[in-house]
Amino acid sequence: MNQKNKKIRIAIQKRGRLQEPSLNFLKNLGLKFKPNGSKLITLCTNANVEILYVRNSDIPQYVKYGVADYGIVGENVLIEKKAKLKIIRRLGFGKCKLIIAVPKKSNIKTINDLSEERIATSYLNTLKQYLKNKKINASTIEINGSVEICPTLNMADAICDITQTGTTLKENNLEIIEKILDSEAVLIESPFTNQNLTPEQWKNIT
Amino acid sequence: MKKNESKIEPKILKGTRDFTPVEMAKRNLVMAKIRKVFEKFGYDAIETPIICPAETILGKYGDEGNRLTYNFDDAGGRRIALPFDLTVPFARFFAANWRELTLPFKRYQIQRVWRAEKPQKGRLREFYQCDIDIIGTRNLTAESEIAAVVVEVFKELGLEFRIKINSRRLMNTVLERFNIPEEKRIGVITIIDKILKIGEEAVIAEIKALGVENPKEILELLKPEKNTKTTLEKFKEYDLKEIEEFFENCENLGISAEYLEFDPSLARGLDYYTGIIYEVVSKDSDFGTICAGGRYDNLCGLFCKEDFSGLGVAFGFERIMLLLEKTGAFKDIQLNSKVLVTIFDEESKKDSLKIYADLIKAGINSEIYFEPEKLGKQMKYADKKRIPFVVIRGSEEIEKEEVTIKFMNSGKQKTIPRTQLTSYLSNYYESKE
Repeated sequence: MNQKNKKIRIAIQKRGRLQEPSLNFLKNLGLKFKPNGSKLITLCTNANVEILYVRNSDIPQYVKYGVADYGIVGENVLIEKKAKLKIIRRLGFGKCKLIIAVPKKSNIKTINDLSEERIATSYLNTLKQYLKNKKINASTIEINGSVEICPTLNMADAICDITQTGTTLKENNLEIIEKILDSEAVLIESPFTNQNLTPEQWKNIT
Repeated sequence: MKKNESKIEPKILKGTRDFTPVEMAKRNLVMAKIRKVFEKFGYDAIETPIICPAETILGKYGDEGNRLTYNFDDAGGRRIALPFDLTVPFARFFAANWRELTLPFKRYQIQRVWRAEKPQKGRLREFYQCDIDIIGTRNLTAESEIAAVVVEVFKELGLEFRIKINSRRLMNTVLERFNIPEEKRIGVITIIDKILKIGEEAVIAEIKALGVENPKEILELLKPEKNTKTTLEKFKEYDLKEIEEFFENCENLGISAEYLEFDPSLARGLDYYTGIIYEVVSKDSDFGTICAGGRYDNLCGLFCKEDFSGLGVAFGFERIMLLLEKTGAFKDIQLNSKVLVTIFDEESKKDSLKIYADLIKAGINSEIYFEPEKLGKQMKYADKKRIPFVVIRGSEEIEKEEVTIKFMNSGKQKTIPRTQLTSYLSNYYESKE
């Protein structure tokens, strides 16, 4: 049991590839809970721990506001949201990478060819930071999904997106010219939590 | 007019300047940054007149200040003076308007001031100051807020700096303990203020000339130690509540201790200071003081019978400009136009004008070349005006519903659908920003 026996709230993904492994992580801590169904908040049956099911990209926000003490989120999302939250554990699942890809027949071969080109992405902040670091000037296009279609439509010359297996890229005749970062799910802690669980306390959370 | 008629020489007065568009771009950039910080801390702007009745300016800065104040008779025989700084005009403004103002009153003021000095490097006759002041509170929270603004301004400008802090009250107490009569204290303080300029020996000699017996011991006590903490220990027997509370407030405001230094020898030459005083020096010691000020309890009392205490600092805008120029902050300075829309020929003019209107509507700083001249000539114009993007819409582009952008910095060229032009330019990310 946590020290003050105050309720701990952990935010996880409501829908998507991180949900199942996140729930498994919580189960492995010994927490017992019923499937949430359509409920967004579930209280564990054997510990004063509440599970909050929210959109992946909103998790940093809940943790930043202190309404969730902890969150399980892809590191790529954390970086994109510029949420300077403390990562207390890397979880080893949900691995992916953020890459820059171009059409196979493109004249763009290296990142230096990207200057003045159009780059479509769902990770605008991360892309801009990358361009800044590499001193590349380019035009960005923010698209919230299916970014891979943009080059075919002559809307973009390159894309910046996450990939796991590379299948989607292949299907769209895109090839990777640069990896921006490797990502995996991470456990983050709110700056406002009064829990500050130690690794030992995580083990004995129930 | 006949050609050989004699013309008026287009001259300006010594110590004054014309500013070209490039110079103004730099100045506006810096002023905007300073203004942004002032506004972030809730200061509002005011302005005061340039020509003032002489009695509202003269006699407030000591003999040296009097000598350096521009003053003259106007055609109506009135004695006129130009502001020597912004503090005194502000005190006058406050005394005239305080009933309508919300107290405590915080204001910023960015205006020209004048000094009848011999012009030399970094010293002009006409220059800008940027001031913030607070009137109507004696609470030391105000002193700490001023320090926080100063820190934020210089961080925003990317300059390395240190704020020296002292208390005029403490300085006066020290002089009192050394048995220096009240009427001589400001004289001694004015001399101590010159220590960096004329050196310790000369300061001792000058103070001695005032009839003070132990200048050496005074200077020894006032000398700052390694850091603020050890310096404070030297003054254990003195009342340090003011300085300690100031530092404590600063800490709570999140001001990093590296920016603040207690320097008991800090004097500030002006007569009117009564409490905490500030002087900001840059790491590059060539530039001297870049910002200074302090608490003045009695300044408004010159203009009204009510008793208002105030404090504030003035940023030495011109020195800050010189310093930034030296650090290379203006290497990539641009003028206002980001895009030049060219006119390929008479037929395509209609189309270029439409593009120009679209860009303006999208809020992109742009201009159009007025004549359908050779493209090379239009490019040259863009190059000279440091315009980074040139838009070309020739017959081929019109036919394909495209538009070509020439990038003046890289020399590259890119053709995109006409419909994407404003989005492309609006979302163009410059990595050096």
